[in-house]
Amino acid sequence: MRRFELVLPGSLDECVKALAQAPADSKLLAGGTDLLPQLKNGLLKPACVIDLSGIPRLRSIEAGNGQGLRVGSAVTARTLELDRAVRANYLSLAESGALVGSVQVRNLATLGGNICNAAPSADMAPPLLALDAEAVITGPKGERRVPIAAFFTGVRRTVLAPDELLVELAIPNPGSHSGGSYLRHTPRRELDIAVVGVASQLTLANGRCAKARIALAAVAPVPVRATAAEQALEGQAVTPDLIKRAADLAVEAARPISDQRGSADFRRHLVRVLTRRTLTTALARAGA
Amino acid sequence: MSTVMKTTRDVKGIGLSIPRPDGPDKVTGQVQYVADLNPRGLLHAKLLRSPHAHAKIVRIDVSRARALPGVRAVLTAADIPVLKKKAPTRAHAVLAIDRVVFAGQPVAAVAADEPAIAEEALDLIDVQYEVLPVAADPLESMKPGAPPVAELGTEADTSEAQAHGSVAGVTTEVKSSKAVNISQQARLQRGDVAKAFAESDVVIENTYRVPMVHQGYLEPHAVLAQWDTAGNLTLWASTQGSFNTRSEVADVLELPENRIKVIPMECGGGFGGKIRALCEPITAVLARATNRPVRYVMTRREELEAGMPAPQVIIKLKTGVKRDGTLMALEAEAILESGAFSGAVLAVAGVFLASLYLWPHFDVKGFEVLTHKPSIAAYRAPVAPQTIFAIDSQMEQIARKLGVDPVEFRLRHLQREGDKMANNQPWLSNGGVEVLTRLAEHPFWKKRAEWKASAKDGKLRGTGLSLGGWLGGLQPTGATVRLNPDGTLQVLTGQVDIAGTNIALAQIAATAYGVDIDKVKITTGDTDVAPLTGLSAGSKTTYTVGVAVMQAAQNARNQTLEIAAKELEASVHDLEIDGDRVVVRGVPDKGVTLASIGKKGNLYMSKVEPVLGASHPAFSVQAPAFCGQLARIEVDPDTGEVTLHNFVVVQDVGKAINPAQIEGQMQGGAVQSLGMALTEALMYDDKARLTNPSLLDYRKLTAADLPNIETIIVEKPAPHGPFGARGVGEPPIVPAPAAIANAIEDATGVRLTHLPLSPERIALAIASAS
Repeated sequence: MRRFELVLPGSLDECVKALAQAPADSKLLAGGTDLLPQLKNGLLKPACVIDLSGIPRLRSIEAGNGQGLRVGSAVTARTLELDRAVRANYLSLAESGALVGSVQVRNLATLGGNICNAAPSADMAPPLLALDAEAVITGPKGERRVPIAAFFTGVRRTVLAPDELLVELAIPNPGSHSGGSYLRHTPRRELDIAVVGVASQLTLANGRCAKARIALAAVAPVPVRATAAEQALEGQAVTPDLIKRAADLAVEAARPISDQRGSADFRRHLVRVLTRRTLTTALARAGA
Repeated sequence: MSTVMKTTRDVKGIGLSIPRPDGPDKVTGQVQYVADLNPRGLLHAKLLRSPHAHAKIVRIDVSRARALPGVRAVLTAADIPVLKKKAPTRAHAVLAIDRVVFAGQPVAAVAADEPAIAEEALDLIDVQYEVLPVAADPLESMKPGAPPVAELGTEADTSEAQAHGSVAGVTTEVKSSKAVNISQQARLQRGDVAKAFAESDVVIENTYRVPMVHQGYLEPHAVLAQWDTAGNLTLWASTQGSFNTRSEVADVLELPENRIKVIPMECGGGFGGKIRALCEPITAVLARATNRPVRYVMTRREELEAGMPAPQVIIKLKTGVKRDGTLMALEAEAILESGAFSGAVLAVAGVFLASLYLWPHFDVKGFEVLTHKPSIAAYRAPVAPQTIFAIDSQMEQIARKLGVDPVEFRLRHLQREGDKMANNQPWLSNGGVEVLTRLAEHPFWKKRAEWKASAKDGKLRGTGLSLGGWLGGLQPTGATVRLNPDGTLQVLTGQVDIAGTNIALAQIAATAYGVDIDKVKITTGDTDVAPLTGLSAGSKTTYTVGVAVMQAAQNARNQTLEIAAKELEASVHDLEIDGDRVVVRGVPDKGVTLASIGKKGNLYMSKVEPVLGASHPAFSVQAPAFCGQLARIEVDPDTGEVTLHNFVVVQDVGKAINPAQIEGQMQGGAVQSLGMALTEALMYDDKARLTNPSLLDYRKLTAADLPNIETIIVEKPAPHGPFGARGVGEPPIVPAPAAIANAIEDATGVRLTHLPLSPERIALAIASAS
């Protein structure tokens, strides 16, 4: 690991000021589960690292009055996994938190880190896409909100400017007749990265699908929605046959590559399997 | 050696599950490893490694690195006169001279006040490469015209095979003239293969492929080097053999061996990967250049990119049998990819393929092929898991095709003591039949049909077993046993304890001398003080050093009794050791304490000789050791995920000196075997660069992936082992790949021949079969 300057802001304002003064290649440190290995292996050599651990606001979860959920960017995966409010209405997000790394990793790894690293395989991205979350960003020019689907611009690239940081994710309440599920495939049970991840969210009204969201991870440079599959479901009574058809359509949204974690063929195969399974679970949860 | 010691009463020694005394310090983090040492003036080393697998070094400029404050030395090959271009081993290739032959090969070395400064210095070294064509695939590399790996005229390295001492009598030729990257060839033949195939009813042909895998020791390679003003070098090393490290470093640096002291530190795992010298020579050179102690610790990424993994093994295997199950012919071509330097145990592959089951006609060709990848080393039973994966998978398929019981089929053809191996040496006493028979008696095997039928929720269930083993290594060794002035015993060897062997050796000393284990302390000495000894490898520490310790303890006992006989005016034959006294048998009042004998051996003006038992045996008789494993699994046919529900390990250990330590070996070996079976592979792109250089993507199994591992010890005494013991370390890594492949076929009907048996391979095979 190379030498670097460590800055410890005590508030969001201080952090914005520190970012403005720091060199453009500076890095924000939340849990460090992704940043530190990159520093140790010399893949990143920033002159300055800004530690977010002194900013309490980034670690808060607010679930207010059916308005939806606000999750601070430094909330850990372990908190997402266990938090009652998250589990009550945003179960797919809790499930994605529960799959990251190991318990030790989840005690450190954060939602914001997972999103801002912008790995195509980020587990928390598909549930956020399926839940229509918005990213709340702050910087020297003030706050702005970006739909999560527009947040990712490429592999390890986001809309964040060098002087901005992610403050929280705002997630609308999907309502009581809605259910979600996140599943991923990994060769190992834990301490692994998704070969494919799929989140589904189904909202029912009068026995039909009022709204469908299917989001895929690790099958394109950024997390993607399977919109054709969503449209096939919306307005319909959701049957096993329809789920099967939607799963086939979801494959078309995938543009996977072959790499050390899996071939493109296997990834397409998994999109079909995991879409079918997450839709089946989401349907059961929406009805329950 | 085979006679069991007669002691006059039972002592607390062999056969007891005594915990390792070093265990608590290890689990509480109090043990000092090389990386924990902190001598005054310590410098930290880092190596600049080639990003290219094959390239000419046009120019290296280290001037900016040397100018960085805190940097004490920056060296290239030009600064080390002893380096030669035709380096026979990785240890000799300290720094690349004018050509790099694998990605990760060191080209420059830095010593600095802090690790971070050394890393910054690496960034300031400017190397200009001219990239050359790469031999990345062994099947391409073995053809004429492939880009050459070794310098022309470099000798093949067969010392690894000798170190493991496992196979005699195989003709190994070196080099063919045109295919420059074939560094060794071997051939084993018997009978008329063509005729026997023509007379066969069932012929099965497969190509088995096992990728390079990494040993995965917890502690990376680490060494600390320091010179004194008289020109003596001390190395604090993480090694499986301090004398071997000393010899290799002496050879590379052209030093007399007695000028080098190797202090073997606690070794955080080796599994064959810490036999050969790797970073010791460059660290010694940096220490000399700076006149300071210098430490080098490899990072995990460096371990994966530039360690010494197991070879990739490709086996084309064709077998013919009669409809009645008679074995007819076996034809095989085994290709071992050794990376950039020769060193594979080619003969082992040939012998296991053609000797485990008795083929009247066979023709086995072996090739060691060089590629532009890191050179390989041993990995726990080198080449045995790969070879057994092929031959056992094949036996299972034949049995299924013939519709016969797969265990009965194996037992019918399994070698017995006295049968001729493929190299015409006789099979020695072994428990192969006993192990397989015991495994087949297990309820999981008997109830495999019920398990298969119990599948639900779209999942599939299956059971598989396999039998494998290891021929056992041999190497001369030595030990001393002293009686202390207080009557306690002190055992000294030079043997590095990588597996809990020291407690077993202490138990052997206790029983052989005739005192309880709490009276015995064992020490692994450094190369200046300990008796010369071999590697901790080849499953031979207990088997060979155990004999030395047993004989040294018997020798010390005899000396003790002779001294006591004079004191007591009794015949030696009438004496026995009872607790802390030597007494006259039947006259318990008449005796002398061990402490008084010990004290007189160290008393001013005493005429009593101090008790010093010694033994330094060499060996000629191996003790093959077999292990059988059974897996009960569930497969998700859609995702290809395999869930291990139960795993059983049965192993012949000859005599269990310390059952708990042996069970630990059986479980640990099984876990590594399962990793090879299911998830592990070093993956390279077409430029021979590693694409998974972290433990995230190089997947060792975790506790979450593993089931309860049941261990069953079988004891068929080894005629020449200490108290009948056999080696136990290597056999349990052998069988799982075949056992899992067999279980997958049982569950899904799909036969897979390439490791790892990954979810992708399983799911896509099922999808294309249906």
